[in-house]
Amino acid sequence: MEAKTKNFNTAAAEALNDPNIQANLHGLYQGFHHARVDAAAATPGWEEMREKAREIKAHTIDNLDHYLEMASAEVTRAGGSVYFANTAEDASRYVVDLARSKGVEIAIKGKSMLSEEMGLNDRLAENGIEPVETDLGEYIIQLAGETPYHIIAPAIHKTRDEVAELFEEKLDAPRYHEIEDMAGEARRQLRQKFIDADMGITGVNFLVAETGTIVLVTNEGNGRMCTSMPRTHVAIMGMEKVIPSMDDLGIFLRLLIRSATGQRLSSYVTTVTGPRRHDDEDGPDELHLVVVDNGRSRLLADPELRESLNCLRCGACLNACPVYRKVGGHAYGWVYPGPIGAVISPMLTNLGDAKDLPHASSLCGACREVCPVKINIPRMLLYLRKELAQGETYPESRRASLVDRLLMKGWRLSIANPIMLRLANKAAALAQWPLARRRRLTWLPGPLGGWTRYRNLPAIASRPFSKRWRKMR
Amino acid sequence: MTGNQAEFLSNLRRTLGRPHDAPPLAISDATALGRDAGEVARRAESIRGRAQEDADALADELETAAALAGWKVARVASTQDAAGYIADLVRELEALSVVRSAQAVVERLDLEGVLSGAGVQVNAMAVREGSDESSADEQRSAMRQHAIDADLGITGVDYAIAETGTCVLLPRKGISRLVSLLPPVHVAIVERGQVLPGLDEFFALRRAHSLGGDLGSYMTLITGPSRSADIEYTIVTGVHGPGEVHMLLLG
Amino acid sequence: MFVTCIVDQFYPVVGESTVRVLRRLGVDVDFPSGQTCCGQPAFNSGFWADAKPVARRVLKMLRGDRYVVVPSGSCASMIRVFYPELFHDEPGPLAEARDLAPRVFELSEFIVDVLGVTDIAPYGDSAGAPESRKVTYHEACHLRRELGVTTQPRTLITSAPGVELVEAQQSDVCCGFGGSFSVRYPDISGAMLQDKIEQLSETGAERFVSCDSGCIMHIAGGMERQKVDMRPVHIAELLDEYLGQE
Repeated sequence: MEAKTKNFNTAAAEALNDPNIQANLHGLYQGFHHARVDAAAATPGWEEMREKAREIKAHTIDNLDHYLEMASAEVTRAGGSVYFANTAEDASRYVVDLARSKGVEIAIKGKSMLSEEMGLNDRLAENGIEPVETDLGEYIIQLAGETPYHIIAPAIHKTRDEVAELFEEKLDAPRYHEIEDMAGEARRQLRQKFIDADMGITGVNFLVAETGTIVLVTNEGNGRMCTSMPRTHVAIMGMEKVIPSMDDLGIFLRLLIRSATGQRLSSYVTTVTGPRRHDDEDGPDELHLVVVDNGRSRLLADPELRESLNCLRCGACLNACPVYRKVGGHAYGWVYPGPIGAVISPMLTNLGDAKDLPHASSLCGACREVCPVKINIPRMLLYLRKELAQGETYPESRRASLVDRLLMKGWRLSIANPIMLRLANKAAALAQWPLARRRRLTWLPGPLGGWTRYRNLPAIASRPFSKRWRKMR
Repeated sequence: MTGNQAEFLSNLRRTLGRPHDAPPLAISDATALGRDAGEVARRAESIRGRAQEDADALADELETAAALAGWKVARVASTQDAAGYIADLVRELEALSVVRSAQAVVERLDLEGVLSGAGVQVNAMAVREGSDESSADEQRSAMRQHAIDADLGITGVDYAIAETGTCVLLPRKGISRLVSLLPPVHVAIVERGQVLPGLDEFFALRRAHSLGGDLGSYMTLITGPSRSADIEYTIVTGVHGPGEVHMLLLG
Repeated sequence: MFVTCIVDQFYPVVGESTVRVLRRLGVDVDFPSGQTCCGQPAFNSGFWADAKPVARRVLKMLRGDRYVVVPSGSCASMIRVFYPELFHDEPGPLAEARDLAPRVFELSEFIVDVLGVTDIAPYGDSAGAPESRKVTYHEACHLRRELGVTTQPRTLITSAPGVELVEAQQSDVCCGFGGSFSVRYPDISGAMLQDKIEQLSETGAERFVSCDSGCIMHIAGGMERQKVDMRPVHIAELLDEYLGQE
């Protein structure tokens, strides 16, 4: 996907000014976020599970080469094929070539954020293959020609009327009013595609290294359709999705699902270990696993950022984030929005072009509080801000503006010691004199004007505390 | 097509700061991978034993959790009662065709017998014994079409999980993936002693099985009807799997 | 006491209240001279090179074995949690920062966890307490999530005679201040502020209490602009109302 991270402010403003989007985002707190909070409270040993999962993930990532090698051997032993792709382009080429070699006309797709990174739908379409998104939310945004708004619920920004209009326009359907009817229409439309598809393309929630088992978590059943109906199944996976053992799966499924939607378990958990066996009644004849790097090595290489590879893509941090709940998914300008997106979207594209992402945060820490694998996102945001300001590890990313640096120097000067502070205090008192009414300022110039757009500012104290201390000593 | 695996892994090793002739993997205590085969087998043994001993309590737990997850749960005392339940359901749905898997518990229901009078077509989704390759292919095509057209699918289960209200199917010979997926209604029959306490126990058994042989191509864990909340957080069922699921607890 | 730049420059009364409250609870309060700022604005903006000299001054100033009490969750976090981050590559200051950290406390945390005071009633004159006045409480983010302080402020508020605490909806959600975030991204900050103002107003309380002056400046500044009938009070001031009586 093309990165539009530079447009953060414009895109954020659009979302802030759209009452429908604001209403839909507002529902995240009481909805998904609260469901996660309740599910965590109802799961015995939740905190221990989080710590265990964090440890397992950290160990796996630290030994990623070993575990990928193990997994590859197992998938091959089970009768599948494994392809390792350094870049998104390489991965897309593999899938398109495979589809063409098999004369694929229709490819049904399960939800995959990685396929968004790859722009896979466009690549397939360019080569005469019809890609059909089968997850209801993805289906909606595919019809709308948009990108996902949220990791778990891609169309959460759309009202029912917007969906109804979309269906009426693109599917030649009647103008529905009930959501049930819209879902029914989607079921009917997609049913035939499931039946006619030559290839199923899914993502991977977990790959169990020990057995070469691909695990898919869905609620709709489209994952089962994509892995059982067509004769070829292609699973595309970010290289970090590996976990060591089948015995670890229980913990990870609970953490992922209860953090994402609060359900004890999703309607379907499906696992695939190789293509169908000879005696199976149904199932695909071929299984291809595509393991993709696409910049994840950059995260792996940086000890400050490696932990971000622990991410289970549950979306809990999005639901907990007060900034995401205002600006929504498109503001972040690339595949991954929200707190985790603020770390990985810049690093997987171009940090310098994405300077707003690590900065557009009040560092409240709600994301860290809900992360099932305890990723310390605020710490990473601070690290990326340091890189943008000072460019130590990534000199090409340095983006400290003149205004920023001047303000910093000004601040340094005024707080250098008590005498400078007193001078600064006097200067501020003087400067505010024409602006202050009844010890309040309602307008500030230039970059500081952002404050007074929404708030008054108290006048600076003529007798700061340090002066008053003398009388209190 | 493993192609560039060597290069990819070698790049990873370099990124991880690992020398070319790196020592083998030192498995962390955090993951269960380090448990030896003996330990895994003993644990599985113990879990299987407990499933039988605690069968009644586990069935009760399953009933509660399954209802919470959206299953319509019913207790049936015998295979006749189970068949009767299904016959009632068929009538209610005005079903014309039914597909079933070939698990022993389903065979015992004699659905062909029970439903033939009502003019309902029953198709067993299993290739006939002794069929040759091309006959098997033909049968599979026909079976697939039956599943597409069917109003109801009936299966047994391989396990049930009390913690989450889940039925587990392990597709293989005689057990099709499509019976519990394509028709709009699914009935799963759980027998006494098939219920495990939780996810950890289930995966422990699977792990033990994999160490001894082939895991099989597929596992499906079903916890309630197909659902989506993608439009305005409103939950709708039946997109795309069955919108109505029944769990019969037998015995 | 480490007074913090916001309190020193904008809310000196909070500093005075802090001293009075601590003294009333039997604490000998010292105010090391030369305090300006903990360095958080530079640290949060990524200018760690500018934050370091400021932090070094603070480390030097706070050497010793006295407790350091701070009437702010975010400044206490900066010193206790983030100074070790800032100096992760400088062993000397890192050791000093690690040494200092266990001595640093936010005000309400200090009163409850170190002084062991969970009820301030005996320390004042309850006969002079006003009749029940409703207040609500806004949780500052660093206080909650970096310092883990959630119950201590509520314990103290509810123990103050004449004060009734009403919880607000989404009291654990950020108000939108976030330091320079409020100025760099004013529209997002303003939208978050709007929610917070509505949630606090809904409680029907006369005043909202917080342990952080940054949050107070932001929320009160917005309430004033919108002419919302609710006043801010820092927890030090609230306690001082009761304990500061003659």
